[in-house]
Amino acid sequence: MLSTIAIESIKRRKTTALLTLLSITISISLLLCVDIVRSQVKTSFTRTVSGVDLIVGAPSGQLNLLLSSVFNIGTPTKGIDYKSVASLKSNKQVSWLIPLSLGDTHRGFRVIGTTNRFFEHFKYGDKQALALTEGRVFEQPLSTVVGADVADSLGYTVGDKIIVSHGLGSVSFNNHDDHPFIISGILEKTGTPVDKAVYVTLQGLEKAHSGPKSAHTSRLRKKTAFLNGHSTNEHEHEHEHEHEHEEPTQDNYDSDAFTPESVSVVMLGLKNRAAALQLQYQINQSKKEPLMAILPGMALAELWQIMGNVEALLLGLSGLIVICALIGLATMLLATMRERYQEIAVLRTIGAGPFTLLLLIQLEAMLLTIVSAALSIALVAVLMSMFKPWLSSTYGLFLSSPLFSQSSVIIVLLILGCTYLVSLFPAIAAYKRGLHAGLNSN
Amino acid sequence: MNIINNKSALTQCKSAIEVSHVNFAYSKESTPILNIEKWQVSRGEHVFLSGPSGSGKSTLLNLLCGTLTPTAGSIALLGQPFSSLSNRQRDKFRARNIGVVFQQFNLIPYLSVAQNISAAAYFSGKGNSSQKVLANTCELLDRLQLPSHVLHAKADALSIGQQQRVAIARALINSPQLLIVDEPTSALDADARDSFMALLKEVSDDNTMIFVSHDNAMERYFDRHCRISELSPPSTTQPPHAVKHTSKPKQESQ
Repeated sequence: MLSTIAIESIKRRKTTALLTLLSITISISLLLCVDIVRSQVKTSFTRTVSGVDLIVGAPSGQLNLLLSSVFNIGTPTKGIDYKSVASLKSNKQVSWLIPLSLGDTHRGFRVIGTTNRFFEHFKYGDKQALALTEGRVFEQPLSTVVGADVADSLGYTVGDKIIVSHGLGSVSFNNHDDHPFIISGILEKTGTPVDKAVYVTLQGLEKAHSGPKSAHTSRLRKKTAFLNGHSTNEHEHEHEHEHEHEEPTQDNYDSDAFTPESVSVVMLGLKNRAAALQLQYQINQSKKEPLMAILPGMALAELWQIMGNVEALLLGLSGLIVICALIGLATMLLATMRERYQEIAVLRTIGAGPFTLLLLIQLEAMLLTIVSAALSIALVAVLMSMFKPWLSSTYGLFLSSPLFSQSSVIIVLLILGCTYLVSLFPAIAAYKRGLHAGLNSN
Repeated sequence: MNIINNKSALTQCKSAIEVSHVNFAYSKESTPILNIEKWQVSRGEHVFLSGPSGSGKSTLLNLLCGTLTPTAGSIALLGQPFSSLSNRQRDKFRARNIGVVFQQFNLIPYLSVAQNISAAAYFSGKGNSSQKVLANTCELLDRLQLPSHVLHAKADALSIGQQQRVAIARALINSPQLLIVDEPTSALDADARDSFMALLKEVSDDNTMIFVSHDNAMERYFDRHCRISELSPPSTTQPPHAVKHTSKPKQESQ
């Protein structure tokens, strides 16, 4: 009966109730969104890379290097000479090395030049290795392995041919269409930036860049050749020579055998992780070529610290918005109390005690908040699924299931607790209201 | 002992209402509005209480309903010391034993007729099943000559006459022993008033009834006519509008 009265009472005041519902729904949605993004970012960050001890690139900044190499966000740092890479490879501490060449795209997805070492050593989440759902790793210089989201959204299967474009925009006018890559494998979904990347061989990427349309590559080559003391013609001749020897050999193709002029970033796995700091110091002090080595864990922690402050601020602001909305709810109930005094007096006369009336007013507030919370959860779920591709492509934020975590439940419970507290004001007003005054107010 | 549930005490006592030395003033400083030495109403008696506006009729009804408590003296209802019960006990007693029909009917506008009536049954705590309450409601509405489709209509969608009957049905749903009716005919013409009174008499034949009106022509419907001026002599009282309210009246609020 109490719930019937509460529901009918809310329906009676539907305009004010709807406006209140709307303001609470928006504020709870905002708070839930902030919380979900916060927890998903944290999960996403921690899942992105594991097992890589050092990331080495040209000196730019710890975060820039991390974002461009692991999250595929932002502009890649300038390349590092392969001599430095070779020197790192020969270091006694280094167990394995993954060279990465960044800066190209395929229909909006980042293209990363690498070797089969990447599929062998790169790990994500809880040291999970990459796996293929279909096909194989690089089988020949123009092989490509695509991430799960790339294959899904573009409908690719093994054997399809793709063209790599120069530059990072989603639309590029500089396509390396002389050298189409053939998809040799499709990676399993990881929930990390790997899903949205196209992996090609360093050799294939170099070949694509050497095409007649790549003015940028030509300029780079000239510069590199000049620095290396070779003439451009000589260098191109070498390449042509190289082409003659590279027949696709399905079983014995060694993607590591190719030696590029430079790469963007190198990921290192060490024999002894404890040596990471020492090697980082050595690399950072390198006099041959200025290099920068970062510890992925520390860089992630730094990034998280920056994000964490913003997140705490956003969470605090959203919390304040929710409190404002709940005060609005209490104000709405208090404002309607004046017109309800007669109704309250009648309820008292027919036997409803003051405590029952207190419960009735609180029930109304609770019902509004519960409906708002349910609407917010539905709204946030819809919004997140709508913006999921955009969040992952623009911010590298991969939303994983379940969307709502324990903290979302805690937030909803806290909001209900706050509703209980703020609704005490109108409820006490109803509780204190005298019978006589209400009945004689006509 | 739970005095409210003491059914034998409620049924054995011959007096429905016993007012002894009741004095009521809205504040300590003001002159009392009511000063009743002794007043008694027997069980099953239908009493007509009259008096001019401001003479203290509604104040006496409020004292009998327990919405006001006497400044001095005692009120016993159905053998229970009603004025000395706690607020909660008084709420329960009222809900179970007193049916009130207000001047403005005071139906809850956003509830349907069925919900208005069943709320009274629910809050009385008598524990009747919803089916039984619905059956009783239908029977009462039938006796009050209300069509069955009215059951699900919202109270504010009813005509004045229909609201009046629903208010009576709500007052009677818990089969109260005492029915208090506060000027429900003031807005009615003579024909409508006669028809209403005939109906009220018919449905409340077994109850003790206090009917308040300033219209002396109504006395013919009742067993006894009490004038408020005789109960509470004017020399010792003062109408409420003449009282300077220096503080809130002592009322049953919690």
